This record gives sequence, structure tokens and C-alpha cells, in this order.
Amino acid sequence: MVTKISIQNLRKVYDTPERRVHALEGVNLNIEDGEFICLVGLSGCGKTTLLNMLAGFVEITAGTITMDGKTLTQDYDKGVVFQEYALFPWRTARQNVEYGLEIRNFPEKERREMAFEFLRLVRLEEFADFFPHNLSGGMRQRVAVARAMAFDPQILLMDEPFGALDAQTREELQELTVDVWQKTKKTILYVTHNLSEAVYLGNRIVVFVPNPGRIREIVRVDLPRPRDDLAPEFIKLQKHVNDLIRDF
Amino acid sequence: MQTSEATPVPPSLDEKKKEVRRPIWVKLRPVYPFIVILAIWQVAAMQAQGNQGRLFPTVDAIVFRAWELVTDPLFRALAENPNLGILDQVWKLFESPILLHTLNTAWRLPFSFFIAAIVGTIVGILMGRFAFWESFFVPLLSVLLPIPAIAWTPIVVIWSGIGDQTVIVITAFASFLPIAMAVWTGVKTVNPVWIRAAQSMNADKMTIFRTVVLPGSLPMILSGLRIGLARAWRAGVGAEAFAGIRWGLSAGIFDAQEYLDIAFMMVALSVLGLFGFVLEKVLFQPIESRTVIRWGMMEAMGAQDKKV
Repeated sequence: MVTKISIQNLRKVYDTPERRVHALEGVNLNIEDGEFICLVGLSGCGKTTLLNMLAGFVEITAGTITMDGKTLTQDYDKGVVFQEYALFPWRTARQNVEYGLEIRNFPEKERREMAFEFLRLVRLEEFADFFPHNLSGGMRQRVAVARAMAFDPQILLMDEPFGALDAQTREELQELTVDVWQKTKKTILYVTHNLSEAVYLGNRIVVFVPNPGRIREIVRVDLPRPRDDLAPEFIKLQKHVNDLIRDF
Repeated sequence: MQTSEATPVPPSLDEKKKEVRRPIWVKLRPVYPFIVILAIWQVAAMQAQGNQGRLFPTVDAIVFRAWELVTDPLFRALAENPNLGILDQVWKLFESPILLHTLNTAWRLPFSFFIAAIVGTIVGILMGRFAFWESFFVPLLSVLLPIPAIAWTPIVVIWSGIGDQTVIVITAFASFLPIAMAVWTGVKTVNPVWIRAAQSMNADKMTIFRTVVLPGSLPMILSGLRIGLARAWRAGVGAEAFAGIRWGLSAGIFDAQEYLDIAFMMVALSVLGLFGFVLEKVLFQPIESRTVIRWGMMEAMGAQDKKV
């Protein structure tokens, strides 16, 4: 497999009025092209900080991140799906999906077709002309996934994208995410604190622990897909990750 | 896996919500208070005798006066020349004082508001975008905002004389202040996650401003314009009276005070009220229902569905 992203000795320190926070310390991680990586850990363990560094929202204190062998620049193509509903309320579902294509100056006709294609991917083509506030929470996040994928980004970064949804919708969207991943073969980094979700989705699970934020272990998940969250191996793996997070 | 989220039947967008048929007396509810007030006025006015009667004209007297105010020049001209052409007849209508007063107010006010809206929006955006202009304008506006604009009238009259320009300056100034403040607040408080979403798709600063900050702050901008219009209305009507100009509804009201022409005052006041109401209905409601209400952004701001 080809290494897509290489993270070396990554460190993030920031100062609050009270104290200096070591958000990340000595993080090393190689991500292969087309891999589905889940980042898990208790709050304050730095998993979201790492994602935000990859997204370009947070500056690196020390260490390097390279993509395809080159140092990461701010303006590489990445798709981000946020936990909050981040769709633009003044744009319809289709217009939201078109946004990244507009930025890249695609002609209108092409934009439209591509937007439909990705709305079809998340099974929402019939709702193309709906404004976000007329869509349910789950549908909004599906549009957000389509928006993040439409301009063919190098990687997809997802920060607890389904955290605000009810359990059943969440399951449905996890299944959809796997489907989208298998169809598009994108490299995905997925932050979650839901361990069952991590085992269901990831090829590998990167387990973070706090103070300072660092990687405890990287767990490979070799269960065949579609995965059954009630299978003994699934539950065993989930328990293993749970132990890693809590006892250190 | 089962589809748990009840995927709704894709509703057709053309299908309008079924309108609930309401009986006429329910539809007319907003009119009731006016009927009550008019009835009380009528009964009270009918008790008034002699001089008191001049001070409390009955409702029918006011209505008659309104009719007279509008048609007087026409009827007088017709009395002189019964063969007056139809165009001349219409023209005569425009010589009626109440129409002249109304027309003068009717162009000055929107004109002043328009200037204030443009300047206020530009200043508000500068404040929201650049720290320098923010620290420059905030103290200034904070000091100016509490001063009732009408209090500037004597100074403006001395500087720019008696005339439309004085009223326009005061009206525009009064309206500019809240608009600038609201646009500033709107630009500053755009939901940061929208901006991050745009950034993550590599939109540059100017594009983010155009495609995210402006539409994202539209609810605040519109409410600022609404307050601005209300302030323009108040200040403009006051300035008309105090700037000593000839034509304008409130100038007319103050004139009528000299002659104890209560009926004229009541007619002019009604026109003022009606005018403000129509302006609000014509200007803001269509814009809001096509934008921020349609996008669900008013609910997000915590506004309740109005049940009028």
C-alpha cells in the first residue's frame, strides 16, 4: 500500500491564562491511501486537535505532516464534515454541494451534474432543491458528506459527524459512510468517542490518551464487512479498545 | 440495516400548504380595536357642545374633512369651468394640500432612508471586518446613538438653511446609526462553523465574505434596516415640523394647530400611520419571507412564529 499521509513527532502546545497545555506530544502515524482511520479517546486527548491540524485550522508547534511525500500546505484539497450542522442555510442541498466546485471554478452545468451525482451517492437526489432547515438532522449530515466529497478531495476529515443524531439515524449513516467509502476509495480520518462506531467503521483505530495527548496504541480491525456489532469478535475488540482508553 | 429515519415522501415543492379557511369575522380581527376606538370617539364627540365641539370633531366630520381636503381644489375649479378636461381634473387633485403634504413626506423619507441604508451598511461592514475601523467608529456611534436626532435640528437649520436638505440630513443621520450598529453586529456574529466550512473548501477571504458573511448576517442586517426605517420615520416627521418647511405631513399638522383644525390633524396623523404600516408591509415583509424566513434563519435566531 502507498503511504498517503505521514505524521512525524507531531507536537501541539498552547498556552491558556492558567497553564500550558500539551495537546499532542510525539505523535507518529502513517496513513495508507484509501484507509479508513478512526481516532478515539477521552475528551482532551488531542484527537480533534490532530484532525484540525490536518484541516489547517490549527498550527503545528513542532514535527511534520507530509502528504504524498510533500509537506502539507494550507490549500490542499480536503473535505471536512463537522459535528455541528454546517450547511449554509441560504443554499439548497444542491447549491451547498456545489460550493466547493464553485470555489474551483467549475462551469455551472458540470457543477450541477456533479452535485446530483454526489447527492445520489448519499441517496438524497430527490431533496436537491430543499433548503437545509426543511431537512432532518440525518439528511443534513448526508448533504454535508456530499458537499465534502464533491470536489474530489485528497482526504475526508470527519469530526464526530453523527454525534448529534439519534442512535438509529446514526447507525443508518454509519452504514452509508462505509458504502460511500467503498465506492469512492477515499482516505478517511474519523474522530469519534463512540467505540462501537469506531470498530464498525475503521480499518485501524488510533487510541489516544490525555496529559499529554498521545497515541497509546493502534488497533487493527480485520473483521469482514458488513460488520455485525453483536458478533463476539466485534464486542471483544470493542472491550479491548475500551480498556486501552481507560486504564493507563 | 433498516431505514430507521422515516425517509419522507419527497414532497413536491409546488404544493402549497393547504390554506385554512377562516370565517370573515376572524380575518377581520385586527380591525376590531379601531372600530372600538372610533366608536368611543364618536360617542364622546357627540356630547361635546359649542367650542368643545370644535376641539372634538365627530368621526363623520373628520371623514368629511378628509374628502374635502382631497377634492376641494378640483370642485372649485369645476365651479369656475365646468368643461375642465379629465387630465386637468386629475392635476387639480394634486393641488390639494393634504396630497402635497403626503407626497413631500413620501419622497423625502425613502430617499433619506436609502442614503442611510447604503452608508450604514458600508460603515457596518468596515467595522465588522477591520479592527481599526471598529475601534474608530464604536465610540463615536455609542456617543451619538443616545442623542435624539431631532435635537440636532437647530444646528442643521443654521448650517444648511430651511428646506428639504435639512430634513434629509437629520432623517438619514438618525437612520444611519442603528443600521451601522446592526450590520456591524451581524457581520461579527456570523456562525463561525459556516466560515470554517468555507475555509475547509479553500475559499479565500473575499469569497467567504461575499458568499458566507453577507448572507449569514442578513437577518441582523434586515432587522437593523427595520429599526433604521422606524427611526427615520420618527426623526423625519419631527424634523419636518421643526425645520420650518412648508410641505410635509407633520409640517401641515403644526400649521393646522394655528387654526385649531383638529380634523385636518387627525386626517394627517392617519395618513402618517397608514404610510408607515404600508412601508413596512411593502418593503420588509416580502424581502424577509423570500430570504431569511424561507431559509429558516429567523427560527434559528429564536423568533417565534407570529400568530396574527
